[in-house]
Amino acid sequence: MRTLTVDTRRILYAIAAAIGLFVVGEMAHPGFLSGPSVASILVIASFVGLVAAGQCFVILIGGIDLSVPWVMNAAAILLTTTSLGKNTGAPEAIAAALGMGVAVGVANGIGIALFGIPAVVMTLAANGIVEGLTLGLSGGFTCSSCSSYAPPLIQTLAHGSLLGIPDALWLWAFVTALVSGALAVTRFGRATYALGTNPLAATLAGIDARRMTILLYALCGGFAALGGIMLVGFGGQASLGLGDPYLFTSIAAVVIGGVNILGGRGNYLGVAAGAVSLTVLVSVLLALSMPDYVRSIAYGVVILALLLAYGRENER
Amino acid sequence: MQPDAAALPRGSRLGHAIGQNIGLILAGAILALAVAGFLLVYSIEQHRLPGNFELTSTVNNAIPLVFAAVGQSFVVLTRGIDLSVGGVVDLANALAAVTMGKSLGGALLWSAVILAVGAACGLVNGLLVAFGRLQPIVVTLATLSIYQGLAIRVLPAPGGAIPPAYTNLLVNPNAPWALVYIGLLVLAWAGFRRSRTGVDLYAIGNDEASARALGVNVLRTKIIAYMLDGALAAAAGLFLAASATAGDATTGNSYTLTSIVAVVLGGVSLFGGRGSAAGAIAGAFITTLIVNILFFSHVNPLYQSFYEGVFLIVAVVLGGAIGGAIRRRR
Repeated sequence: MRTLTVDTRRILYAIAAAIGLFVVGEMAHPGFLSGPSVASILVIASFVGLVAAGQCFVILIGGIDLSVPWVMNAAAILLTTTSLGKNTGAPEAIAAALGMGVAVGVANGIGIALFGIPAVVMTLAANGIVEGLTLGLSGGFTCSSCSSYAPPLIQTLAHGSLLGIPDALWLWAFVTALVSGALAVTRFGRATYALGTNPLAATLAGIDARRMTILLYALCGGFAALGGIMLVGFGGQASLGLGDPYLFTSIAAVVIGGVNILGGRGNYLGVAAGAVSLTVLVSVLLALSMPDYVRSIAYGVVILALLLAYGRENER
Repeated sequence: MQPDAAALPRGSRLGHAIGQNIGLILAGAILALAVAGFLLVYSIEQHRLPGNFELTSTVNNAIPLVFAAVGQSFVVLTRGIDLSVGGVVDLANALAAVTMGKSLGGALLWSAVILAVGAACGLVNGLLVAFGRLQPIVVTLATLSIYQGLAIRVLPAPGGAIPPAYTNLLVNPNAPWALVYIGLLVLAWAGFRRSRTGVDLYAIGNDEASARALGVNVLRTKIIAYMLDGALAAAAGLFLAASATAGDATTGNSYTLTSIVAVVLGGVSLFGGRGSAAGAIAGAFITTLIVNILFFSHVNPLYQSFYEGVFLIVAVVLGGAIGGAIRRRR
């Protein structure tokens, strides 16, 4: 029960940090807390949140996925080039992009679980492989179909709203419910925590560690691809390096969301709050028209401050 | 669990030595293959063997990564990882371009200051890891962002100047004089490895709890590892600035990931306690040679990272399989 309260407290800290940063933003820049401003910040945060959902799964078992940036980029370019900006081809294009992400994730999982390659090395290599293939096959994003737009359907998903709430937030809320639910009450969730806490004990308890590892990396790849799809819907066209900022941001969101980087502890609700905190932080600094370097330094300092405040390893 | 080499009596059997140094031996084998591959591709392409110019440019291209990788290996040996290497390289590079001016004397003086700044960056990492009880990967993720920000503050746009004499001293374009620095690095490492701190470093990487129980000062040793790492990353930034004869606050970013690749290819275990600086140096040269081989093979540069990724996986899987087989046979 004690672990439960510690974990719950961490989620509450992450949410408090997000709210605190919103308040700071309002003080620094009146109007920051207005409806449209908050909505647009949350939409941006949702992209981080989707990618961080996948990252959360693998970090929960003590892994990490460094292949996120180019899986996102590849998903984005795959979506635009296969749909050519038309709604008719959208379902196939979405399936292709998500399928690619899952396939990369499965490959990561196989390399890690079956071949025993350290997660850092495997996913770093996978990132390079996907990068090389994406750049090579698209001629460095110069192919004739590379300038296609995302299908209107996807653009609407990223920009539209339903009942006054942006579609992207509905999607994120759905994902949040699904991921938190799956982790909290299903066999899958219990197996994930068990594997992250003690792989040997989990295996002895009848959990197929290899299958779970592959499944979790597959989910991570799928979520990265989903993030790429939403991002290209938001931006319209796929651009080179679109996924780059999401590598460190997704890991940071997971960590300040109270998930133990060594695995076994944490919850997606905290991660979602972490994604909001990081996005609000960047928005506050932008609203204050701080130069780039201040943003970069503040980002690091705030992550460290949050970690020192509540992210300590309290195992003895 | 492999016992720490330092804990065993000297002069044990050859088989034992092979088992202990299997990572380094494999790294040497991969390096030999990479050199052979480069010689083959180059001579087919250019109809002659590479000469002084190619050797010099390979060494000069590799040397920043050599220093960054050796720095990374100190931290990896303690079972940590340093993602802030790229930020420290950036900061050192930017500081060098802004401060050095025209005279060699001034440049050398500033080099010492910049190495100290690198060590200070490492000290911050080390203090946060050791006393903050935070995981190295998240600490250095955060400080990466801070050091990158500071680098951009120092040098907002690429520019500045490095005295030509300084360039000639560090990365002489006429002959592979830079090998001298690598030799010094190996000597310094050999001394460090035999020092109390060096032995403690391996002990911590193998089993931190046991090391602590045996009286190893874990906090002090870790902080020293991070400081050495920071100073070496700063040295990488100095070599980079000398090569480019100017500064750029972002060129160092790639060294975070390439230093990890070099360390892994060099047979340093990411799980700590196993590996050496010699391995990291071999890994840095392998990484550099692969790029050269791809270049002379006329591989479409867009596919470059694809081949690098495939190579990394193949090397790690094969290395793991061969190493495992040899350990089992003993």
